Amino acid sequence: MNDLLSVENLTFENCHGKRWQHKEKRFTLGPVNFSIQAGETLAIVGANGSGKSLLAKLLVGLERPDSGSIYLNERKLEQYDNKHRVLNIRMVFQNSNESLNPGITLGSILEEPLKLNTNLDGRARIIKVEETLRLVGLLPEHRFFYRHMLSDGQKQRVALARAIILNPQVIVADEPFAALDPSVRSQTVNLLMELQRELGLGFIFISHNLGIVRHISDKILVMKHGKVVESGKTEVIFHWPKDEYTKRLVHAHQALINGQD
Amino acid sequence: MILLDIKNLTLEIESQSGWIKALDKINLVITEGQIHALVGESGSGKSIIVKAIVGAISDRWRITADRMTWRGQDLLKMSVRERRKIIRSDISVIFQNPKSSLDPIVTLGNQLKEVILATNLEKGMFWNRAKQRKKYASELLHRVGIKHHEAYMRSLPHQIPNDICQKFMIAMALASQPKLIIADDPTRGMEITDKSQILKLLTRVNQVRKLSILFVSHDLLAISSMADHMTVLYCGQTVESGRMNQLRRRALHPYTKALLESAPSFRTDLPPKSPLSSLGGTIPTFQHLPIGCRLGPRCPRARRECVKVPEVRRIHEHTYSCHFPLHRDQK
Ligand SMILES: Nc1ncnc2c1ncn2[C@@H]1O[C@H](COP(=O)(O)OP(=O)(O)OP(=O)(O)O)[C@@H](O)[C@H]1O
Ligand code: SF4
Ligand SMILES: [Mg+2]
Repeated sequence: MNDLLSVENLTFENCHGKRWQHKEKRFTLGPVNFSIQAGETLAIVGANGSGKSLLAKLLVGLERPDSGSIYLNERKLEQYDNKHRVLNIRMVFQNSNESLNPGITLGSILEEPLKLNTNLDGRARIIKVEETLRLVGLLPEHRFFYRHMLSDGQKQRVALARAIILNPQVIVADEPFAALDPSVRSQTVNLLMELQRELGLGFIFISHNLGIVRHISDKILVMKHGKVVESGKTEVIFHWPKDEYTKRLVHAHQALINGQD
Repeated sequence: MILLDIKNLTLEIESQSGWIKALDKINLVITEGQIHALVGESGSGKSIIVKAIVGAISDRWRITADRMTWRGQDLLKMSVRERRKIIRSDISVIFQNPKSSLDPIVTLGNQLKEVILATNLEKGMFWNRAKQRKKYASELLHRVGIKHHEAYMRSLPHQIPNDICQKFMIAMALASQPKLIIADDPTRGMEITDKSQILKLLTRVNQVRKLSILFVSHDLLAISSMADHMTVLYCGQTVESGRMNQLRRRALHPYTKALLESAPSFRTDLPPKSPLSSLGGTIPTFQHLPIGCRLGPRCPRARRECVKVPEVRRIHEHTYSCHFPLHRDQK
């Protein structure tokens, strides 16, 4: 089967910032290699500051890589071709609070990508917005709400709604479940798995929640200090972690499940 | 010994549509040496309970309770000053976001030294005080497992990693040698190895110093690894409370069961990618709280009776509020 999304030798070097300091703190990411097929899920795990969010931004085109390439349906994504990418690879941000405009209603927030990228008329847009709100477990009347009227979990749903409203092929999500409550979280997980089955959506997500990572991902990428220290099939990594850091993660998780005493 | 005893705590907040019960007859009992988990989803009122305990509530809120005592002393009858005094010496609070509860422009060392009360130091001449403070501060940091503490003491909050920051908060919480630490979601958003360090640390201070901990969170994995008791909240109502292992083995309230089943890590029998069990619907907004049992519209067992708030029922240490609890089926 053909790859939906594949990444070859992607690297990024952060040479901005603290140059005036003695210790020039350079952050280099990569090289990163992976591929997913339609309907597959890749989880990116790793410590805070290991470059996970940066990798996500490279995938959706918010940052430019220094070298390497990204292919969507075996076709190389070029910088000039941003529209194609924007329509097909959508991002859900870590801090949905900051990424939602406080001054306009959720309905308008969700309509924006439709206005920019589709020919739907006003009525059709509203129908699509309401449909999408329902898909993510909100109510049609949430259209009239403002950001401050929502709980953290509800904000995350709006962010997810905004990502799927254009029917993309790949969703990249930075900690999509962290702010969600258990009962709502399992709904969202189910919702994503369902969308994947129905639409063949590729899903790439960053998470600290190894329980969910193990449950829904097919592949894992473990990152530390900008490097991929281990990658492979989820079950293989949980059963036979090779790298020291991966072992620590898996053991810490196992210890929590079994209880500390 | 019972430290904190709260019975039927109700807190009302005024909104456009009148007074809303943000907390509706909450019960919570914490005994000495306990690690008590307060579990509930976002907006269920966990932080408001914490605020009510430490007395940090707005004058515009209406607060009533049948009982609210700290080691036998009635907190509701006390003057604000008396209450502050007790809280300051007996209870420490760690907030969910360490960075925003620390002063951004004061070094961590100075913030830590500031909370060390004179009473915590050995008797001695005042010119020794500064030295003693410093010594006590580094002892505390050592105790919470911060290495290279000299460098961190000179740092500002934003210069250090989140988990170290949280350890600092715990060190500050320990400084006044409290009887109870309230940790409001202390591991939110942490990576698992950092998280398990914080949890181990809290467990250790609990064991070594016989300190009680009220652990507020919705991270069931974290909770079940450390807590011995658990109180479950839903939309400002206490739905079930009891020993952790009892609740995990045999939850009586439909919500507790749903909550426990929502964590894939607890389910060894779950095939990968199978749907997780979850309640339908969403948590209602505060403006549209259902009458009676607030779980009603989402509860698979709901019947007509549920429009009346269920009474608290008790089986030994285990309490629950539901008209049709899960053990009724077996009869
Ligand atoms: N100052 C306030 N004025 C009005 N309503 C408030 C205020 N503070 C909290 N609330 C409401 O009270 C409810 C409970 O809030 P609380 O902060 O206790 O939730 P929580 O259980 O701590 O949630 P989280 O897990 O997100 O921290 C929420 O619906 C919130 O909107
Ligand atoms: S009282 Fe009724 S609605 Fe509430 S949890 Fe029990 S069965 Fe469900
Ligand atoms: Mg809170």
